[in-house]
Amino acid sequence: MKYLPLIWAALKRRKARTILTFLSIVTAFFLFGALQSINAGIDSVMDFLNTSRLRVMNRVSLGQPMPQAHVARIAALPEVSAVTGIAIVPGTFQRPNNVQVALGVDLASMFKMYPEMHVDPQQLAAALRNRSSVLVGKALADKEGWKIGDRIPVHSFGVSKTDGSLDWTFDIAGFYDMDQHDFASNILANYDYINEGRASGKNLVVQILVGIKDPSHSAQVAQKIDDLFANSPNQTVTQNEKDFVSSILRQIGDISFLVNAIVGAVLFTLLFLTANTMAQSVRERIPELAVLKTLGFSDGTVQMLVLVEALIVCVAAGAVGLGIAAIVTPLVISLPGQGIPPMHMPRIVFLLGLLTAAVLALVSGLPPAQRARRLQVAAALSGR
Amino acid sequence: MTAVVELHNVVKRYIRGKQRVEVLHSLDLTVEAGEFLALMGPSGSGKTTLLNLIGGLDRPDEGEVTVAGERLDKLSGGELARWRARHVGFVFQFYNLLPVLSAERNVEVPLLLTKLSRAQRRQNVLAALTLVGLADRAKHKPAELSGGQQQRVAIARALIADPTLLVCDEPTGDLDRESAEDILNLLKILNQKQGKTIIMVTHDPRAAAYATRRLYVDKGRLTNEPERTAA
Repeated sequence: MKYLPLIWAALKRRKARTILTFLSIVTAFFLFGALQSINAGIDSVMDFLNTSRLRVMNRVSLGQPMPQAHVARIAALPEVSAVTGIAIVPGTFQRPNNVQVALGVDLASMFKMYPEMHVDPQQLAAALRNRSSVLVGKALADKEGWKIGDRIPVHSFGVSKTDGSLDWTFDIAGFYDMDQHDFASNILANYDYINEGRASGKNLVVQILVGIKDPSHSAQVAQKIDDLFANSPNQTVTQNEKDFVSSILRQIGDISFLVNAIVGAVLFTLLFLTANTMAQSVRERIPELAVLKTLGFSDGTVQMLVLVEALIVCVAAGAVGLGIAAIVTPLVISLPGQGIPPMHMPRIVFLLGLLTAAVLALVSGLPPAQRARRLQVAAALSGR
Repeated sequence: MTAVVELHNVVKRYIRGKQRVEVLHSLDLTVEAGEFLALMGPSGSGKTTLLNLIGGLDRPDEGEVTVAGERLDKLSGGELARWRARHVGFVFQFYNLLPVLSAERNVEVPLLLTKLSRAQRRQNVLAALTLVGLADRAKHKPAELSGGQQQRVAIARALIADPTLLVCDEPTGDLDRESAEDILNLLKILNQKQGKTIIMVTHDPRAAAYATRRLYVDKGRLTNEPERTAA
């Protein structure tokens, strides 16, 4: 601690250079934190998904609806344990940027299919009794401060009601929670309420969720479902949840590889930048370091001063960058209503980031620190 | 009187290019405690090399260097650093203060190597700055001080750990006459009133006149008189 004024003085020696280096490290670690948060978020979504549930979509495209009649035909298959069609009312709640999506489903089947979704049976029964009732994810309800009995208006983007209005009202009958609390962020409504209330698209579903009895046969059941509609005008494509999300992600590319490649390139560049800055800083201070040695500072102490200087800059800037990423990432990267919660930075990413910053400091600081250690006092003082 | 500095058969060589140049030849020197010795001589004669050996900044290639009772040629790098911190105060021609630290922080630097508390360090710093007449400039950075004042700060830094020996390399070489006299008077007071042993390298005979003994270094040898060139 007593050497801190010396280290601080060294950092203040070229303020502009220190600030610019600090900012470049902040930026790099912000990127590191944000990208690793996305990676971690995708991993947690993938963990949540499983192969015992299938998603049935229109073969034409993801957004193309299918007849609701498909649901009953799928339900008749002996391998199927539960089925629900999905109708969607996307809209906003109170503020234009507060996007909320009400999913019209068969609530009973939904909770049967998703054992990781927990609901009070009485609240589920209440929701089933009243068609305008909804069950709201606890994370969303906590965020909005909603209570049971509240009536929530959702101003739809495009799903108009039979009376021409775009305003849908839902009565909160209860809440559901999930093992991963942040995932409990949907509004689950009764399909019939949305289906009967909407002016167009009646008896259509955008997706069908299918629970199957034996997950090891998911591929065969998926094929069987698609075969059911092979000769219909609304052919289907069926995948288990995990394959479904993977196929979407594959369209974007190997996100994990891209993220790691970008982070690696940034850190590699940063290593050169920091090493160059530290080398320059030590080169300029050769006479001062020689004076410290003259006054009795050992080779090891001088080396330690240079290394700690690098550590302070890198770790402090890294912590700031990671801190900004931890705050900003969940605000920017979230898909409300799609079952994908805000992507929070896991603690391990923060710790990994700090460790990376420390390694960066040691690797970039070691050559100049070694130079400071090996400095011959008499030669340095005479300018040799 | 006890000898603070004893050099026997000291040889120092440097490698310059492909040549090995002997800078000091079998040199002997004894400096008693309380002496104020001026080392004079032309540029390149080996004065600073000799001073560096006495101050523990460099090692001889041959011979023995004993300062403050310690054989410096036998000490390791770490031991030598600790020895310097305890026994020698250095004053340089160009002050060599740390530019971003205030005067008081500069003076405090050697005390960072001791176990003194912050309060004790501050107290000692104030005493040292008062001794050199700069207590009122404690918060000033070196760039805000004149050359003479900077050299006073350097002297305060050299004295702060109460060293056995004060080693000064051209301490007035960068100062005007008035400032130089101030510094030399200060060194004289330190020698006479505090009994500090001082070894000073200088080109200036007026500066050397403040010393109690003068020696001349010429071509790597010590003499009592300057070598006279034939007319």
